[in-house]
Parts: sequence; C-alpha cells; structure tokens
Amino acid sequence: MSGREQILAEIRARRLAQAPKPQRYSAPKIEGDLVEAFAKRLSAQHAEVRILNSMAEVPEAVADVLRARNMAARIHLPSDSPLASLALGGVEVRGEPPSAFDAALTVAPFAIAETGTLAYPARKVEPASWHFRPLLEIAVLRASDIVGELEEVLAKLGTLPSTLNLVSGPSRTGDIEQTMELGAHGPKALTVLVVKE
Amino acid sequence: MTLDPKAFPQAARSALNDPLLRPALGRLKTHFGAGRAMAVQRYGDFESLRDAGKAIRDYAVTHLDELLVTFEQAVNARGGTVHWARDAAEARRLILGILQDAGAKTVTKGKSMVTEEIALNPFLEANGIEPVETDLGEYIIQLRGEPPSHIIAPAFHLSKEQVAETFFARHTALDPKRSLEERNALVQEARAVLRQRFEAADAGITGANFLSAKEGAAVIVTNEGNGDLTRLLPKTHIVVTGIEKVVADMNDVAVLVRLLPRSATGQPISTYVSVMAGRRGEGESDGPRDFHVVLVDNGRSKLIGTEAQDVLRCIRCSACINHCPVYGAVGGHAYGATYMGPIGAALNPGMMGVAEAAHHANASTFCGRCAEVCPVKIPLPKIMRHWRAVEHASGLAPKAITRGLALWAFAAKRPALYRFGASIAARLLRMMGRGGAVRAVPVKNGWFAVRDFPVPEGKTFMAQWKARR
Repeated sequence: MSGREQILAEIRARRLAQAPKPQRYSAPKIEGDLVEAFAKRLSAQHAEVRILNSMAEVPEAVADVLRARNMAARIHLPSDSPLASLALGGVEVRGEPPSAFDAALTVAPFAIAETGTLAYPARKVEPASWHFRPLLEIAVLRASDIVGELEEVLAKLGTLPSTLNLVSGPSRTGDIEQTMELGAHGPKALTVLVVKE
Repeated sequence: MTLDPKAFPQAARSALNDPLLRPALGRLKTHFGAGRAMAVQRYGDFESLRDAGKAIRDYAVTHLDELLVTFEQAVNARGGTVHWARDAAEARRLILGILQDAGAKTVTKGKSMVTEEIALNPFLEANGIEPVETDLGEYIIQLRGEPPSHIIAPAFHLSKEQVAETFFARHTALDPKRSLEERNALVQEARAVLRQRFEAADAGITGANFLSAKEGAAVIVTNEGNGDLTRLLPKTHIVVTGIEKVVADMNDVAVLVRLLPRSATGQPISTYVSVMAGRRGEGESDGPRDFHVVLVDNGRSKLIGTEAQDVLRCIRCSACINHCPVYGAVGGHAYGATYMGPIGAALNPGMMGVAEAAHHANASTFCGRCAEVCPVKIPLPKIMRHWRAVEHASGLAPKAITRGLALWAFAAKRPALYRFGASIAARLLRMMGRGGAVRAVPVKNGWFAVRDFPVPEGKTFMAQWKARR
C-alpha cells in the first residue's frame, strides 16, 4: 500500500465521530471610517501612512519620503507598473529588482482596515518578491480599495493567484531577547500613500 | 546536541541551576504573557473567536481524509505535487528525492518545526545538500548546532552577547573589529549574510501554519519575511508540514489568522501572512517554477479516535508554553524533544510513545493555565493525565511512584485513617516550615531538592469544616 493509501486508511479506520461544519464566524465590525481605521492600525504597526488628495501628489510625496529617510533620490519601479507613466520629477527610476538597500514603489490593489494590512495578489505587473527585497517600500493605495476584513478581499479575488501577500508593516524580528527590531529580511520601513481619489 | 526525552529529570535539574537561562525565562511573562493579555483584551469578544477556532479545527481533524484529498486535487490543478510520508524517514527520503531531481545543492529554509521533528538538516548534509536556516532564531541556533528551545522563538534561551559571540565565531569573512553590541547590528548582519544565500539558493523549504483544502494553498505567518524570500527566489519550493494542518477553505484560515498571532506574540496580525498556492502563474516574473507539498503523518493519524485526539487541533502558537510554570522554570532544551512545554507533554507521548516521553506528561502541576490560554481549547491537562494513566497501566511508571500511589489509595478509601494521616502531615509540615515554605524534610529529599512546599496554615480542611458546622 502506498503512503497515501495507508495514511488515508488509518484516518478512516480510527475515526469515531465527525464534528459538524462550523457556522460562519463574524468578526467585530469596524466602526466609523475605513481609511481612518486602516491608517490608525497600520501606524501602530510601525508603518508610516500619508493621506494624499490625488495621484498628482504622489511624485512629490515619494521624493519627500526618500529625503526624510536620508535615502538617494532613486526608486525601483516595475517597468509595467500602472505607476510607470507617472512623472517622478527629480527621482531616478530603475526597472530592475531592488537590492536590500534600495527603495521600491509598489501598488496595493487592496487593503484591510481591521488589521491595517496591504493585500497584494501576485500579478503580472508586480512581482511578489518586491515586497520583501527593498530597504524601503512605498506603497500607493486608493482609499476606495480599503475593505473591512480579509474575507472581503478573498471574495473580491474569487480565484486565488499563485501568491497572496498580506503585509502589515515593515519586517521585524523578536528573535534576540524577545525585543523587536525592524528590518529583519524584508523592508526596514514601509510608507503607504493613501490616495483619496 | 542530541535530543533525549528520557533524560528530562536530569536535564531539568541542570537547567534549574543554569544562571544564563534565568533572564530568558523571565521574558516569558513580561513579553509573551503580557502581550497576549493585551491583545485579548483589545479584541473584544475573544471567547467567541476561540470557540470558532476550536470548531474549525475540530471539523478539520474529524474530516482529515476528505480535506487532504481535496487539498491534493487543488494542488494538482495548479501544477503542484503532493507527497505523503508515513514517518520521518519516508519524509526525509521524499524531500531528498525532490531536491536531487531539481539538481539542488543549497536550500534555504523558512521556519518549520516539522523539519526539526523529522531531523531533516543532518540528513540533507549527509547527502551533500546544504540547508540554510533563514529565520533569525533558527539561523542563530543552526550556527551553534543547537535545537530550538521554543517553538516560535528558537533562540529564546540566548542573550544578545551569546548571539554576538556566535556571529564573530562563524562570520569569519567579516571585519573582526566590527561592533555587534546592539541587537540591530546583529539583525542587519544576518540580513546581509542571508540575502546572498537567498539569491543563490536552488530550492526553498518552508513549513505551513495552515493548508487550505479548497484552494490548494499553504499559508505561513512570519514577521521577518524570510519565508517569502525562501518561496519566491529559488526555482523549487517545497512545503513540509503535518497532515493535521489542513482546514476546509480560506475563510477558515481568515478566522485562525486572527487567533494565532494574538495567542503567540500578542500581535493583532503577523507582519506577513502569505498564501502560497502552487507555482508561479502565467506571465508572473517571480515565484517558483516547481511546487511540492510533503504531508507528514509520523504518528499523527494514530491519535485519531483516542483520548488524545484533541491535541491535533493545535495551531502551534506557543501560548501554552508561554504560560507554563514548568517550562518557565526549566526552559525548552530540558525536554529533549522538538515540542516542549504543555503541547509537548500532550503530543510527545502519543507521537514518540509513552516509554519515550512519559516524563513530559508527568512534568505538570496541573495548574490548568495552558488550557485556559489555548486558542483552540485543547484540554491539555486531561490529555497529560491520560498519558499518565497509560504509563501506570502499562507498568512503565517507576516503582516508588506506583507504591506511593497504592499507599495513598489505601488510605484514601478509609476516611478516618486518611483524616488522621492528613492532620499529622499538616502538623509535621508546619513544624518544618521556614519563612512560609517547606524547603527540606529529614527523609529522602528528592522531591524537595528542587521544589518548595507552602507551609499549611493550621488544621486540615476537614477539621475546619467540622468546627464550622
């Protein structure tokens, strides 16, 4: 008998009773404005959240975030990103994957207010590894793409892509003396530019 | 360091006398315990969330066959392959086979307790494949040749000075005069060293916190992002996990993801929750070209239908460990097993056999904190008691304990004798107490050597009850 058959047979032979299908759990709902709740929760997880009025404000915000972090005026942006057409002014744009010391500009298709989370389904236009390679990730998010909870993102996606990354702040570790340090493997800093329209 | 659960009594004794362990164990309460308490309070109705988690896991554990077959079909539909391993040796062989077929020489690893359980790393090394642990804690203990001392914080027992010593000793290509005094310097050094390993790896192995049957997805929660670089950069991704990790669908995962980090570190959500469903999609520019899942039984299926079945609900959050007075006194290495603390005490006798791991089930005061904090309400003390009964029934318990229990049972069945004995014992203990505790008795001192007993207040309960009426 193969391992598969033997394991399945063992499970079936030993089982005494079967538990019923659980009722759908309903998490406590967000009260008030989703953008506000999202910003508050993500900020509490050591990310920076900036609210912008329009996409036109993105270039200046990107330049300002880089300056504030003392980083070179250079950003990695996938060549087929929806932001590729944006004129980033004085900031140099690179198309290759960012190194561990670079900044990257990404687009978050969804975000979750309950936990202050960006949701990135893997897509042709945005490689999943870009959320883990750079030192600084600047994510652009439309306010209207913020939903209440993870279940809503799953419903909107329908079929899962090969990878779905949920990101709730910069990379961190507590592995040395249970004390949090930022920038373990992924970005040491995360800034989210929430665009109102 | 070899793992020997039978050596628990001696190992626990030396751990109690290890001054380096004290500061680490102190952090259980101040960091993990306090963090969980805060997260639970902030959530609101955490009890309902625990009930939902328990129901989801109960359904899964009692429908494992259906869910695993559904999972396999969904993985196949996405071009992945599922492998079934009856035991540790079969799991090791299957993983080696996948790596050899892929021509892999180095493999990066995300944190996985199942690969610790099956002792994968030494096996890969013996077969010419270099495993590189990438979770910071796992990386540190791999450099030191130690097993994890905690299931979510593998280097829990170490101070930052010990980590710095390890890096100076093992990162020999770096400037020996560099400063590693700050924790962040250690983190940044590991980041730089490991980033090169990620870029050069031929394959990546991760565990799974959950498997979602309907979508054929493996889900991991991490704070570092190492699991994602392990999956996304190499050509081949292998998920190694236990058969019990499967749940029905992603909506179930969404519930458990609320429960796991709060119970573990007190975070409302882990920094990264990654849903990994098969190989890279059409037109995607990164992600693995091959995707494999190795489902490991290794003693799990034989717990189904037994009094220990509920332990299969476990989501490996470590809340029971973080709240356990026994773990809090002796740490993780004393257990001599991959799973330590209350979850180890409930799981190890079942998976390894009572003859191997009965000490773990005996190492409990039955205070019940573990069951109180368990996110999926596993009755851990009840399961430990079950293993004690099995040990007793199979004649494996030490003679002194069997005889002592027989003597106690004899007296307990004779109320007058029992009351008389108890009043004498209470008086004797009171006479021997110093500063509120009995620290030694004039007879054989085995029990008191490492424990204090509170001095009885006065008369026995029965005597006081009688006086009140």
